[in-house]
Amino acid sequence: MEITQQAVSRQQVVEIILAALQDVLEGVAPEETPALDENTRLIGRSAVLDSMGLVTLIVETEQRLEADYDIVIMLADDRAMSQTRSPFLSISALADYVMQLVAEQGA
Amino acid sequence: MHQHIQWLTSRMAAWSAQPCLIWRDRATTYGEILERVSFWRAFLDEHQIAPGEMVTLDGDYSPATVSLLLALIDRGAIVVPLTKAAEAHREEFLEVAQVESIISVDEHDRWTFTRTPRRADSPLIEALRQTGDPGLVLFSSGSTGKSKAALHNFTHLLDKFKVTRQQMRTITFLLLDHIGGINTLLYTLSNGGVVISIQERDPEIVCRAVAMHKAEMLPTSPTFVNLLLMSHAYERYDLSSLKLITYGTEVMPASTLTRMHALFPAIKLQQTYGLSELGILRSKSKDSGSLWVKVGGEGFETKIVDGILWIKAHSAMLGYLNAPSPFDAEGWFNTNDMVEVDGEYIRILGRKSEIINVGGQKVYPAEVESVLLQMDNVADAVVLGEPHPITGNIVTARVNLMEPEPASAFRQRMRAFCRERLASYKAPVKVEIVDAEQFNARYKRVRR
Repeated sequence: MEITQQAVSRQQVVEIILAALQDVLEGVAPEETPALDENTRLIGRSAVLDSMGLVTLIVETEQRLEADYDIVIMLADDRAMSQTRSPFLSISALADYVMQLVAEQGA
Repeated sequence: MHQHIQWLTSRMAAWSAQPCLIWRDRATTYGEILERVSFWRAFLDEHQIAPGEMVTLDGDYSPATVSLLLALIDRGAIVVPLTKAAEAHREEFLEVAQVESIISVDEHDRWTFTRTPRRADSPLIEALRQTGDPGLVLFSSGSTGKSKAALHNFTHLLDKFKVTRQQMRTITFLLLDHIGGINTLLYTLSNGGVVISIQERDPEIVCRAVAMHKAEMLPTSPTFVNLLLMSHAYERYDLSSLKLITYGTEVMPASTLTRMHALFPAIKLQQTYGLSELGILRSKSKDSGSLWVKVGGEGFETKIVDGILWIKAHSAMLGYLNAPSPFDAEGWFNTNDMVEVDGEYIRILGRKSEIINVGGQKVYPAEVESVLLQMDNVADAVVLGEPHPITGNIVTARVNLMEPEPASAFRQRMRAFCRERLASYKAPVKVEIVDAEQFNARYKRVRR
């Protein structure tokens, strides 16, 4: 079987999500943007976003993937919502989920 | 023969030397229009067009079209006006209205007559025929689903014009197959005003017509007002003759109204309200900069139920030709327009079907559009909802920019702009930058 090169690397996806998150947080509260990394929690008690912020981040990430890499995926759908480990838990989890969807699309 | 508009033609005869209609920059007098009405009477006799016949009148505001409309009303025909704006639905509309003959008037004011093989037999049409009164069929815009054909008894729509009002030189911006266009035409004719016809409806041509023919009144739409502001066409023409601009057919963005009023403090800005099914209500804006408006007047009753405006009208249609009657047992019509109420005044928020429900909270597209239209580099904006599993729906915006700008930079700028002006759930989450115009041939924003 031929191995096709992935359209995007995991590191690039992480960077997209971080940039999108930075952007969304600036829109919400520009004065107090926290330090962000892969382990930044997106939902739950210590999350940096409220639910509107999370929706904005998800859609912003989708729009950037499409604009920068021509990747069209739906990050939030019934499947994402019914995962036992939510893909929206952290940046790392979201990046993994993006990579999974991209791999499925390429398959 | 019935004399359905004798009151109107005798008024017109008294103004016979005065200009009635300006078409292609040339004036036709009331006397000349009446002569043409006589010509059409003979024409209708010759072609055996009987009272109650379903007749399509195809055209814009020209000497032939305006005089033919009067002759058809006088004949007691049921008029089905169609214009270029309805081109895409033409065959469907002819079928639904069971049109039996077609008189088409072209851009040079020449006409053709065609008889169709149809015979109209809908019970509603039969009922109107029993009265011997003339009729009118208007198609609703059908923003959701199929267009509905409203059948009117024309005499009920005409009644309110028997009261004399101001004589105005008026631009006929709204088309002849729209309740607003019919209303403008009849208002102008029944008060001895001047109908100023325009071939195109873009800001340059409209401003030129205002300046050249000293128009006093411009009935238009919020989308057109926005285009006018954007185009700066008003800087190239003398618009000092304008006394009144009326706007309706869609919700006026607050920001557009504010800018227009600041630019033209001497022009009265008046909101209108009407529906294909009911006719045009009398209305009075609180002031030129206000979206608060009183609607009603003789022949109309209004009530608000659960935030929705209901209307009962003397000039209400008889019913739809292609849908069940929308009236309740007492004759009330649900407009599906959500309104806010302050004493005698209401403010129209938007169509119930266009409300976006974000996590249980209501978002009215017009409110968000009004904010987006204030941003630098935004030419136009249309806001609509899209399903989303987390919040039920999200707010999305389709934006026309004046100068190219990267989408991600625009979204960032937009979020910062909205943060100070809108609750977070109202700010668009998704943005699409578009090139194509987002309004239809009637200068109304399309939220689809």
